[in-house]
Parts: sequence; C-alpha cells; structure tokens
Amino acid sequence: MSALVPALRRLPVHRLRGSNNEGVLVLCIIVLSLVVGFSDSSFWSLPTLLNIGSASLENVVFAMAVLIIIVSGGIDVSFMAIGIFAGYGVIVMTNHTGFGASSAWVGFLLAAGIGILLGTLNAAAIAALRLPTLIVTLGTQSIIRGVLLAYVGAKVIPNYPHGLDKLSTNYLVTAHGSGGDTRLNILILPAVLICVAVSLLLRYTTLGRGIYAIGGDPESARRAGFPVFGTQVFIYVFAGLLAGIAGMMHVTQVQLANPYELVGGELDVIAAVVIGGASIFGGRGSVSGTVLGVVLIALIKNSLILLGVPGTWQRATVGLLLLVGVSAQALSVRSRRQHVDVLAEAPA
Amino acid sequence: MSDLTERMVRRMLAERNLFGLAIFAILVVVLFSIVSDNFLSVVNFQSMGFQVAEVGLLSLAVMLSMLTGGIDLSIVSVANIAALVAAQLFKSQHADSATGGQALVMTVGFMLVGIAAGTACGVLNGLIITKLRVTPILATLGTLQLLNGIAIIWTGGMAIYGMPDAFLNIGTGYVAQIPVPVIILLVAAAATAVFVNRTGIGLRMKLVGANSTAARYSGLNNDRVLMMTYIASALLSSVAGVLIAARSASANADYGASYVLLAIVIVVLGGVNYAGGSGTVTGVVLAAFVLQFVSSGFNQVGFNNFLYSIAQGCILIVVLGINSVSARWSPSSRFAILGRRRRNGPGAASSPPAALAGIAPPGAFVRSDPDQLAGGRSQDPGSPPEGENQ
Repeated sequence: MSALVPALRRLPVHRLRGSNNEGVLVLCIIVLSLVVGFSDSSFWSLPTLLNIGSASLENVVFAMAVLIIIVSGGIDVSFMAIGIFAGYGVIVMTNHTGFGASSAWVGFLLAAGIGILLGTLNAAAIAALRLPTLIVTLGTQSIIRGVLLAYVGAKVIPNYPHGLDKLSTNYLVTAHGSGGDTRLNILILPAVLICVAVSLLLRYTTLGRGIYAIGGDPESARRAGFPVFGTQVFIYVFAGLLAGIAGMMHVTQVQLANPYELVGGELDVIAAVVIGGASIFGGRGSVSGTVLGVVLIALIKNSLILLGVPGTWQRATVGLLLLVGVSAQALSVRSRRQHVDVLAEAPA
Repeated sequence: MSDLTERMVRRMLAERNLFGLAIFAILVVVLFSIVSDNFLSVVNFQSMGFQVAEVGLLSLAVMLSMLTGGIDLSIVSVANIAALVAAQLFKSQHADSATGGQALVMTVGFMLVGIAAGTACGVLNGLIITKLRVTPILATLGTLQLLNGIAIIWTGGMAIYGMPDAFLNIGTGYVAQIPVPVIILLVAAAATAVFVNRTGIGLRMKLVGANSTAARYSGLNNDRVLMMTYIASALLSSVAGVLIAARSASANADYGASYVLLAIVIVVLGGVNYAGGSGTVTGVVLAAFVLQFVSSGFNQVGFNNFLYSIAQGCILIVVLGINSVSARWSPSSRFAILGRRRRNGPGAASSPPAALAGIAPPGAFVRSDPDQLAGGRSQDPGSPPEGENQ
C-alpha cells in the first residue's frame, strides 16, 4: 500500500479520485458490478437497477440529513426516530381525522412539518444548552420513540388513506421478469431532487459554506463572521425536515406502517455517509460521495443475494467495508499531515 | 483539622455531580416507595440487581474508553462474542449432562475461554485505533458491525443453548440474599476504580483523555495507553457477556443491541466527561442504579417501557443541560475542560482535543506534527511533499 500510493499519484489518474474518494467508490461499484455480472448474468438487467434504486431511495434522503450534520462536525442518532415518528404519525392522524386523506401531498407536508418540529427539539438542546450532539440526539431518540409508542400508537397499520395508497403503487418503471415484476416507485424523483437541492445548498450558498466552516473549526467560523448559532439551528431543523420526508417515503414504500421499524438502523446510514468520504470531525463531505456510499452498500447487499451468499453475511460484509473505508481515509489523512510542518507556540 | 475540613469541602465541590446524582437516587427511591408498595421489598431489589449488573459492566467498559477521549461502541458485540464462544464450548462438550467436578472445571474453563475471546476483540479495536489511526467512534462502529456480522454468520441467527447448572448459577444464584451478578459488578467496579485511580496506566489514560497532544509531549506512549484501554474495555464487556449467557441460559448474536446507547447514557449521567480526562467509577455505578430504579419503579406503577424510554431521554438532557448551563456561569478553574468544549462548540464530543492548554510545558514550542517528535512511528518516505491537494 505504502509503495503503491506514491506510484499511483504520479499518474494523472489520481485526479479522478475526487476530493472525497468519490472516484474510488465509483471504481468499487464498477468492479463489483463486473465481478457479480460475470458470475451471474442476470445481474446485468433492469430489475437489479430497480432493486438498488428502491433500496437506496429512502436511505439516500436519511443520508442527506446525516451528511449535513456530519459536515458541521456533529453526529445524529435520532433521525430514524424522527422519520418513523413522522411517517407513522401521519398515517395515524390521517386515518383518524380524514384530513388530507385524498392527497399524498398533504401527507408529505405534514410529515415534513413533524420533522421540522422534532428537529427544533434537537436544535434547541444543541444550540441553546450547548450539549454535545451525540448525547442530545441519544436523549431525543429515546424521547421521540417513547412518545410515538406510548401515545401515538404501537400497532402495525395496514390500511392507508386513499392518497398515500395510490402513491404507494404509483411506479415510475416496471420491469417484467420471470420471477415476478420489479418496480421502482415514483418517489425516486423527489429523492433525486432532494440530493440536488442539498448539493446546491452545500456548494453554492453562504449558509452551506458556513456549515463546512463550522465543521472545520467553530471558533474560526465565528471569527470569520458566520452566524454559528443560527447555522446550528438551521442544520438540525433541516435535518429533521429531511428525516420526516424520508420516514414518510419509507412508510409509503413498504405499504405497512410499523412503528417499531427504522430505529436501530442509524449506524448503517452513518456508515454509508462515512464510506462516502465525509469526515467524522466535520468540514469534509459531499453529496455525490454520500449517494455513492448508499448505492455501494445497497449494491453489496443485492449482489450477495445474487451470488448465493447467505443473507447472514450482509452485516459482516458491510462492517468490513466500513472498516476498510475509514482505515483508507485515516491513512490518507495521516500521509497528508506528515508534510504540514508549521511551528506554533503553545500557550504558556 | 481545618486542613482536613477544607479538603473534604473541596472534594464535595469537585464531585458535585456525584452529590446531585446521590440525591436524585434517594428522591427516586423515596418517590417510588410512596407510590408503590412493593418497591422497597427485598425481592424487588434482588430483581433490579440481576438487571443492573449487565448494563453496569458495559457502562464501566464505555467509561474506560471515554476517559481517554474516545468511545467504544462495540461493547455489546464483544459481549455477545464472549457469550457465544462460551456457549458453543458448553454445547459441543455436552456440558449440561456433566456432573460434579467435571461440570465445575468446564464452567470455569469455558468461561475463561469466552472472556479471552472477547478480550481478543479488544486487541482488534486497539490495533485499528493505534496502528491505522482510525477515530475510536468509527473504528468501534466498524467492529460493532463486523463482530455482530460474524456472530450472525456463525449462529445463523439462532440462539445457542445447553449450559450446565454450575454455569447458570452464576447468572441466577444468590450469596447471602445478594444476587451473584451484583457481587460480580461490585468486584469489577472496585477493580476498575483501582485500575483508573491507583495505577500508572489509569493516570495515563486520564492524561491522554485530557489532552492527547500534551500527553505525547510529556513522553507518554499514547498508543500503548489506548491499546490497554480498549483491551480493558473488551474484558469488562466480555464479563458482561458471560453474565448475560448465564442469566438467560442462552447466547444470541443479537442480544442487547439497545444496551450500547443505554451504557453511554449511564456513563455520561455518571459524570464522565465525554471529551475525556475525568470521571469516577462511583458515579457510573450510581447512575446505572438510578436508571434501574426508575425503570423498575415505572414497571411497578404500571407504566410501560415506552414511558421509561421518554424518562431516560429527559433525565439525560435535563441533567446534562443543568450541568452545562451551571458550568458556563461558574468561573472556577475546575471547569477548564468544560471551557474547552464550549469553545469548540457543540460538535466537540467527536472532535479531537485541539487545545494545547494545561499540561504542555510553558513556553514550549510545539510542532504541529507530533509524529516526528514522538519517534518510533513508521514514516512514509516515498510520499511527494505536496500531499493531497483538494
């Protein structure tokens, strides 16, 4: 590895690697696709693509929420609780009151609203009490999940309001295969739109650059004139909004509202974001890398099934991938740091 | 005499968090003993003891890593590996039909093998953190998934049964009315306290946690300290795992996934500084008992688990919120570390200690490349000087 890296760097190819290892991820995806494709020709087909799309659809939106928070130097373990609270809560509310039952739009708007409210809870504790993000979101995760199961409902709901029911079977593409049809829900379009919006936000707005600045060093960001408090509030409210929408997408897609779902899967999404090149210390990370990270994990899970590997291997494989990803990242940071040689005087 | 009084007052002030927690514990006990008739019964305290032991041991494991400024998320996976190894050995040797001395030898032997296997996972954590320089939170997130994955592959998601009574007694027996797991927890807590407070390695762990850069310049071998920390953490987790197997009479790849977050809640509630450097074993054990009191009390009053979940989250945020706000208003130097966190902003829990205050020798020139001064660490001579430009 140590001999290979400098040799590779002399080639212009290394520019393809991207600032957050996006190139490496693309390479992984291509190599994996080729390997799986050669051993099982049915891999190269539309159903595979649709399966991966369906599997990534909601995760990519959750991952956007996590990305923004990780870029800002924080970490969130409450987003799944927010997601299922919003998704399940909207189904319960609409079934009870009949409000907005005919339109899926209303459902998603309500979910977004619930997400914003719950995100505000996080924002208040983090920005006002100045508590560390991991601890606050651990607390809010328990609270949100507890309120959902104790007061909103603890039963699986199979009957959906009319509007959401229609949306859940509104497919963008359907592939007819021998083993049945594979479908991709129309929700992939809003998911892509959200990724584009987050990308534009992070890249081209002052607010987005402020998120990177805070993640790099909050004190420097403050002295550079970024409103740290306001940006923090925005980050957690916006992440709540995204989590609410993603939760609604999940509930819509599975066509069965189960309040026990999602929570517990936080670490998988965080793993995808980290594999996608975001630095856990903040200040680094990109939408393209995150999307690739989510897709890579979905692809691996999908190909393990195709290759006939038992489903029990999935978790270990993703764990190994995460360890390899973060080790590679740590090693590259280390070799970069070795050449920075600045003298600084320690405070006496 | 006045010197002694002064020292006691100082100590009381320094452990204000512990003091508050003790008062909170008493309040909870008083409240529930008024509301529920059975709360103050021996049986209830015994049943609480069985539950608190496992999570208390896991919390001590998290505490050790948090003292060094890191975190160990892999505790439950490690515990399950230890439990599975022991259970598999019992099963393959048909230990449940063994009797007398043979069963005893098997129990002790296989338990130790299980604990050794779990501790080996700690070596893995340590190697990833010290050799590959991966942040503890990510390294242990990875091993959490990897070890859990290996356990799932191994068992196919099934539980393993077939342990001898001698082994099960460890998880369900009593000594003088006190559940054995509680005794194990207290012994482990005492050992951890000695390890942290009375040994050189314990002091070094706190120094590394308070300021890893300063610790390195003071001549400490940070890598060795971290290695020992994650091995000790895995050892405690493995003991918890064996206890879990002995109490539930089975071992399972997916047992206790929710314990990871619960253990972190307990440790932070127990007054351990999440940025590293300080914390007491007493606080952690007390916090474990407090949460168990609340959980058990809720149960007795007829509240469901979900309400307990809400209470747990509220306690965490309220207690820490009060600490954080009061720390901001206190000019006392005791809060130097809290001050550092405040400067770094809310995200500082997952960021490395950046400030070079405190332990660094006054006026020392510090190079931003600690690896060169530390020496002995391998360098990469072939890399071009421009590094990776973005």
